[in-house]
Amino acid sequence: MSLYRIENLQKRYRTGEVETLALRGVDLTIEEGEFTAVAGPSGSGKSTLLHLMGALDTPSAGEVYLADTRIDRLGKREAARMRLENLGFVFQAYNLIPVLTALENAAFVLELQGVGRRERERRARQALDDLGMAEFAGRRPNQLSGGQQQRVAVARALAAEPKIILADEPTANLDSETGHALIELMRQLNRDHGVTFVFSTHDPRLLDSVDRIVRLEDGRVTGEETRDGVARGEA
Amino acid sequence: MPLAVLSLAWRNLWRQRRRSLTSLGAVALVVCLSMLYYSIGGAAVNSMYSNLTEAGGQIQIHVPGYRDLRDFSAGLIRNAAQVEAAARADAGSGVVVGALDVPGLLIHGDRSRAVALSGRQWPDALRESYLRQNPLEGRFVRAGDEAGIVLGRGLATALDVGIGGQVMMYAPGTEGYGAGSYTVTGLVDVLDPSYASRTALISLAAAQTLAAPDAVSRVEVHFPSIRRVQDDSASLEAARRLQRAVPELSVETWRELSPMLVRILDSLRPVMAVVSVIFFILAGLLVVNSIYLGMIERIREFGVLMSLGASGRRVMGLITLESVLLCSAGALVGTAVGLPLVALMARGFTVPGLEQYYASFGMDPVFYASIHPSEVAFAIAFALGTGVLAALWPASLASRLEPVEAMRFTA
Repeated sequence: MSLYRIENLQKRYRTGEVETLALRGVDLTIEEGEFTAVAGPSGSGKSTLLHLMGALDTPSAGEVYLADTRIDRLGKREAARMRLENLGFVFQAYNLIPVLTALENAAFVLELQGVGRRERERRARQALDDLGMAEFAGRRPNQLSGGQQQRVAVARALAAEPKIILADEPTANLDSETGHALIELMRQLNRDHGVTFVFSTHDPRLLDSVDRIVRLEDGRVTGEETRDGVARGEA
Repeated sequence: MPLAVLSLAWRNLWRQRRRSLTSLGAVALVVCLSMLYYSIGGAAVNSMYSNLTEAGGQIQIHVPGYRDLRDFSAGLIRNAAQVEAAARADAGSGVVVGALDVPGLLIHGDRSRAVALSGRQWPDALRESYLRQNPLEGRFVRAGDEAGIVLGRGLATALDVGIGGQVMMYAPGTEGYGAGSYTVTGLVDVLDPSYASRTALISLAAAQTLAAPDAVSRVEVHFPSIRRVQDDSASLEAARRLQRAVPELSVETWRELSPMLVRILDSLRPVMAVVSVIFFILAGLLVVNSIYLGMIERIREFGVLMSLGASGRRVMGLITLESVLLCSAGALVGTAVGLPLVALMARGFTVPGLEQYYASFGMDPVFYASIHPSEVAFAIAFALGTGVLAALWPASLASRLEPVEAMRFTA
């Protein structure tokens, strides 16, 4: 059973008189434990694809299944619960809560899940430690660098033990060295914890360590490559 | 309520320190002003209550229909001692006083005045209370004194008599001697100017000898320790017991004795509540503004929270909690400032320029601020309610956000 199954996914945006087709029928599967990159230039539909995978938006057509449960037509409350129980998110802009410390940010999703205080703190500290941020637990986001903030964001996603972590351009606001380091860290977590990662990027230099690359252009999957070097044709 | 959520809500409030402080200050001001307002209202109400009940007691026992009687004898309670005994048995901590009002003519030399001579008992507590408000020159009425009389200074002036002078009282149509001679032992400066020229006090024994042996016009029950309307329930309960004990007589509380005053007192609380509501609405508008602006500034953050799995209801709850915390803090500050001010005013205050005005109504010009715990709770509850109501609209807006749209929002 695939972790994610996406069939003929389409998304139209209308802005006034103008209609934009962000996704034009995407078919995709994600297997458990994969470390997958969705690569493509700006405007290719990467963020839209991740948003639809996270049930943050509703497709114009097509279906999205997470562990054989259809998630593209969930109501707001059900979608929020589904995200809480199954998904982790990392955003381009870090999106940490500015009034909370790194530890409190890392524990935030656990708090939403209703995890007890001690267990919450233990898992959050462990996640920060895994991301090399344990010594910064008491600092607030404005006391951390961009790379550090993004690591806290990954820790927040990781601590909740989701089935999959979706990262939308997690390195876009970081310098290349820091971005590389973050991707390597995520890769390490994928290996050590078996967490499935799907991240989007427009930077081809970040694709070296991924298991699989899904190339997206103009809302279509134009190719897939795996680590073993097998290239797949245009979708 | 998890501590983490409380902590987050509290910290969020201080992201815009100035705005939150302004709203908090507004709520604090309204809570403080409400408490002062209630306490001043309480002072006025209790002053009127005190004035009324010190004069005639919280309870009075008369013959039925006494208000319509024109015949002096028909208005008498003849078994005064038994009625007083029954009153003492059922009145609990009340002080029972018999009083006999004798209409007649008071004469000194070639001057005379029509008066209602007041013959009554004066237990210590009542005498002290009376003399506190009505300064005395000379000696006051003594129990059993058949020859002494205390006059209001205005009446004494009208009769051109001073302390030591002799006055004659002529009371036709009564059942005693009908006439008597008395020595003026004291002059009293009556607080209420309208009573200054009508006040003539003798002992109950002297009045009974003059007009109605062993009888009284009424029996009064005073509760000197009850100085506030809010504490009046004991007297109401006593009145019910007394009516059962003396079913042939009319037992009335101060409410039945002074219905006009009661209407004024009863209308004060709703009026004060309405004024409070207006104050809180004004403060509430500031809070709405603060919470709404905070919500707008954090739309992207709410989008992120929802993306992470927070439901719309959770976001709504967070915003509402922030508003309630803000108003709670305001209520705390307002109470911390308001109550000591009330305590200070409880020692006594006057309204400059209005002392004579109050005295003309027989009211003590010195007010004593008084606030009931329920009124403190009322003000605090109003503040909390303002917090909830002020958050309704912005919280509702936030809960309906679509996560992706919210994350794209720029203020």
